Amino acid sequence: MADVCDMLLIRAIVRPEKKDDVLAGLSSAGFNAATMVDVVGRGKQKGIKIGGMVYDEIPKTLILMVITEDAKDKVIGLILSIAKTGKEGTFGDGKIFVSPVDEVYTISKGTAGL
Amino acid sequence: MKEIMAVVRMKKTGATKKALVAAGVAGFTAVKVLGRGNLVTDPKAIEECKEKLMSMGMDEFSEAGDTEKMVTSFLDGSRFFPRRLFTILVHDDDVPRIIEAITKANRTEYGIGDGTIFVMPVSDAVRVRTGEAGEAAIW
Repeated sequence: MADVCDMLLIRAIVRPEKKDDVLAGLSSAGFNAATMVDVVGRGKQKGIKIGGMVYDEIPKTLILMVITEDAKDKVIGLILSIAKTGKEGTFGDGKIFVSPVDEVYTISKGTAGL
Repeated sequence: MKEIMAVVRMKKTGATKKALVAAGVAGFTAVKVLGRGNLVTDPKAIEECKEKLMSMGMDEFSEAGDTEKMVTSFLDGSRFFPRRLFTILVHDDDVPRIIEAITKANRTEYGIGDGTIFVMPVSDAVRVRTGEAGEAAIW
């Protein structure tokens, strides 16, 4: 068990229509391993108001990736550039959260490590 | 306090649950996810696997060439497969025991695609029913 945290969990919430682009971009940059799950959520704009209706459960895709610390900037830069819509970006493009991971085990190999 | 995130095969959900109960952990959260792993770069391993899959043959039931197309897309690593994501909150001392239990329950002879286990630090937990926080809130 290493005391130094050298692995990171990236949780990226992106638009569902952007997920294929993001994952293809990451794969071609050498980061193939990923887990994704469809989620619903809202941001600080409190959802979307259309007419009198407020939609605060907006569908998004959550992408989970565990990477080494030195790949962090590359992965985040890639997701940021691909998941953005328009030149300036738009509300609802999503967020990226990064948290430390202590240990990783690959079951098929039965050993520690990515 | 640690959070264990384990991505396992759908078929192994039952075995994993049983292994967790045997290890003394009954509580968990599970969600259906789609996942893919590291790319296999060894061309020999891919060729072997392709032959094996092709020999299983679906050609009687589908159009000519469809099997090959399917097998290729299966092996090029860009495809996502359904998996079960378990989230388990545990005490620090129990981590090795639980990891061993999950690994034992999920290992197959395929040698690939059995999933991954991540261990992450958790700063606090609160049990809603009683309001107790910290280590007491886990079990």
